[in-house]
Amino acid sequence: MTPPTSGAGALVLLVLAAAGFGAFLYRAGKLYRYLRLGRNEQRTGGLGRRFRDEVVIYLLQRKLLKRPYIVRGLAHAFIFWGFIVITIGTADLLLNGVVGRRVPGTESAVFVWAVDVFAVLVLSSIALAGVRRAFFKPPRMHIALDGYVILGLIAVLMVSLVALESAGVASALVARGQTSPPVGALLAPFLGGPAAVALFAGAWWVHVVTVLAFAAYLPQSKHLHIVTTLPNVFFRSERPRGALRLIEQIEDQETFGAASLRDLSWKQHLDGYTCTECGRCSDNCPALATGKALDPQKIVLDLRDLLLREGDQLLKDPTAAGTPPAHQLATKPEELWACTTCAACVEQCPVTIEHIDKIVDMRRYLTMQEAAAPPEAQRAMTNIERAGNPWGEAASTRADWAAGRGVPTFAEKPDAEYLYFVGCAASFDRRNQRVAKALARILGAAGVSFAILGTEETCNGDPARRMGNEYLWQQQAQRNIETFAAYKVRKVIASCPHCFNTIANEYPQLGGRYEVVHALQLVQDLISEGRIAFSGGETETVAYHDPCYLGRHNGIYEDPRAVMDALPGVELMEIEPHHRERGFCCGAGGGRMWMEEQPGQRVNHRRVEQILAAGEAQGTQPAKVASGCPFCLIMLEEGVGAKGIQEQLRPVDVLELVASRLGGDTTVERTNA
Amino acid sequence: MKILVCLKQVPDSTTRVKVAPDGKSVVTDGVTWSISPYDEYAIELALEHKDAAGDTVVGVVTAGGARSKDALRQALAMGCDEASLVTGDAVGSLGALGTAAALRSAVLDLRPDLVLCGKQASDDDQGSVGPALAEALGWPHVSVVTKFAAVDGGLQIWKETEGGHEIWKAPGQVLLTVQKSEKEPRYPSLPGIMKAKKKEIPERPADAPQDAATIEVLSMEPPPARGGGKIFKDGDVRAHATELATLLRDEAKVL
Repeated sequence: MTPPTSGAGALVLLVLAAAGFGAFLYRAGKLYRYLRLGRNEQRTGGLGRRFRDEVVIYLLQRKLLKRPYIVRGLAHAFIFWGFIVITIGTADLLLNGVVGRRVPGTESAVFVWAVDVFAVLVLSSIALAGVRRAFFKPPRMHIALDGYVILGLIAVLMVSLVALESAGVASALVARGQTSPPVGALLAPFLGGPAAVALFAGAWWVHVVTVLAFAAYLPQSKHLHIVTTLPNVFFRSERPRGALRLIEQIEDQETFGAASLRDLSWKQHLDGYTCTECGRCSDNCPALATGKALDPQKIVLDLRDLLLREGDQLLKDPTAAGTPPAHQLATKPEELWACTTCAACVEQCPVTIEHIDKIVDMRRYLTMQEAAAPPEAQRAMTNIERAGNPWGEAASTRADWAAGRGVPTFAEKPDAEYLYFVGCAASFDRRNQRVAKALARILGAAGVSFAILGTEETCNGDPARRMGNEYLWQQQAQRNIETFAAYKVRKVIASCPHCFNTIANEYPQLGGRYEVVHALQLVQDLISEGRIAFSGGETETVAYHDPCYLGRHNGIYEDPRAVMDALPGVELMEIEPHHRERGFCCGAGGGRMWMEEQPGQRVNHRRVEQILAAGEAQGTQPAKVASGCPFCLIMLEEGVGAKGIQEQLRPVDVLELVASRLGGDTTVERTNA
Repeated sequence: MKILVCLKQVPDSTTRVKVAPDGKSVVTDGVTWSISPYDEYAIELALEHKDAAGDTVVGVVTAGGARSKDALRQALAMGCDEASLVTGDAVGSLGALGTAAALRSAVLDLRPDLVLCGKQASDDDQGSVGPALAEALGWPHVSVVTKFAAVDGGLQIWKETEGGHEIWKAPGQVLLTVQKSEKEPRYPSLPGIMKAKKKEIPERPADAPQDAATIEVLSMEPPPARGGGKIFKDGDVRAHATELATLLRDEAKVL
């Protein structure tokens, strides 16, 4: 099709294009300079994975097409794919209009068809999105004028595209031998004569001017994500999800955590530019769902807004620190303390925003710089310092649970293959001591060579690190790493996902590299190798509760289920729809085990309700709910206790189910016995 | 105002203390040492005063061996401005009066307007160093204090009593023994910890005890092991309640 831009037209187009793209570049340059206010951070390792992410997450929209969001996810994918195809068409229109050249391939039949198919898909998706916003407001979604402006602009683009194609076909502007755009050809018979020629020119100009207006508007809008998602996905963290960032040479630092926007990395600021305000993070947040102050989307947007508000001033004065990101006006400390670091937000974010890192960086500021952690958190940290465990139990009693059970310490059995890192909960909490005993029996029955550290073990540091006390974590980790080295430990078993996560994913930051397994992974291996024999066991329906630090943080969904499937008499029940990657936190992660929980409903009470609701929906109430985490167990026990249903729904650890079915042994301690 | 807090390093409350083979002392191996809890409250009260009145200087002092410097550093990390250690060979066997005498020379040297002590140390629970130091200085003292505030012409002092409190006023230098602070003792900031590591802690010689100890420990015994609890299981809840009440009255004698 020939563009209606002869002579003066081309000049006008050139001026408009310069204005549109100029406005875009001006604003984009500013945003880039703001972003560079952030701390430096290397994000270029593992290129292969980064390109694969671009294909899977960006091009194929994998993270949008998650279970509960499949329809709206598809609508978005159509708009996105349409945007890619039609942008090529638009580039062709502009190039053709200004210099009379065509973009290669745009004259092919495949491309002409693709443009029209997507124009229709985009238009339908836009209609769906508009109706949804106006009449079926999704919970937590941030509805603002911006969204409607964007939808409107896209709609104008699509309508004008179809109009100019139809008019082009009707007025025979599509040259003979060229492929007619199918939708255009369909509508062309309704148009004709000079009106078609005028419509063609009008629609062409509307289309092109809208594109340019779009470009100018984009960087002011959340729709900027169409540009920023590409780098945001590319530069996403190469750390394992469960690992927080190491503060190197911590003793030489002057400030700690996010004292200023300058202390957040450039990538964390890019996260803010990329947020689409879709609200999926908030939709899945256990703190928000139970009435806490935290809203993960707000955390991201508060940081972005602060950067936009103070960016100019910070650029002007290189010594200015600006408002601390965790301040009383926008992101309040109680929001940050409500986070359980369960990663439901990170899991769901379609554009790979890293919420937990921001929250922890701000907690680091509150805890280490300002000494303003909640008093109960401070108590837990003091306990870790003085007693090596957050409960403040006497360190000398750490291995009392093992007395008389034939569980050797490394000092007694230096050639043991595995270290069983018991963890504070299983060492000191009476309920969880039963889990440690169960694992010791299983390992004994399977003939696994293992030993514990006894009183030489100390808290792995996870609660301190997640409460923002990186310094204490490093001290604890260092002590354990030194003890491991003294006994030449190479393989570690942890029955606590928090111990497992920090030893497997975080100790390498300090040079501690081991082969780490969670107990349920090892038990699954032992079962499949035939090293564990079962003899009967009661028939019972058991729901499985995914611990966040096994599931979402470490992708261990199958092993615990496989273990349960292998147990005679156990009927596995899924806590639908809150299971696997949508599993709902017990409320104890992120150091919350030791903090007061207010306001609103307790997270663990909500979790118990979800289990009961799932049982109702499936027509069978489970007799037990099994987990693989000591904190989940404590929280579930408290939950069923508070609801007075401990006789109907018994929380257990999967290891206890295994131990109670070990061949030929009747001395197993029964749950709640 | 210049405040001096006298503190004592004691086995931490999380430590399981064992009686040594001599039967007169405790095993110190493997013990975690920390500031006695009432002394921590005293530090917190002093620091809260400093938070409110910026020109306040808070010093800490203890009489003890080299290990006690850790307790002083902890106090510096919490935000105290200066620390000094009264030490010497005899410091371990000073007793309450000897400790008071040793601290007296530090107080005379440092010249605080106000001296705070915990109301008692959590290891021996004697509660006598504070009053003895006041006596040695010839200062008035108020015990079991939970709060103080500078007012016109002196210090207003809240002293806890059974079921309530009394408000006292001290016109000049005074020694208070502290029961509790309103807030929990603060957790040190990391810049505070780093600064405290680098601070000089001057040592002062402890005078040899003037008169020989008049009291001594003859023996120590751990508390008797706790017996197992009693659990009522199954059966009639009302009968359980009656039985429980009877046991609480006749056996435990708490009703």
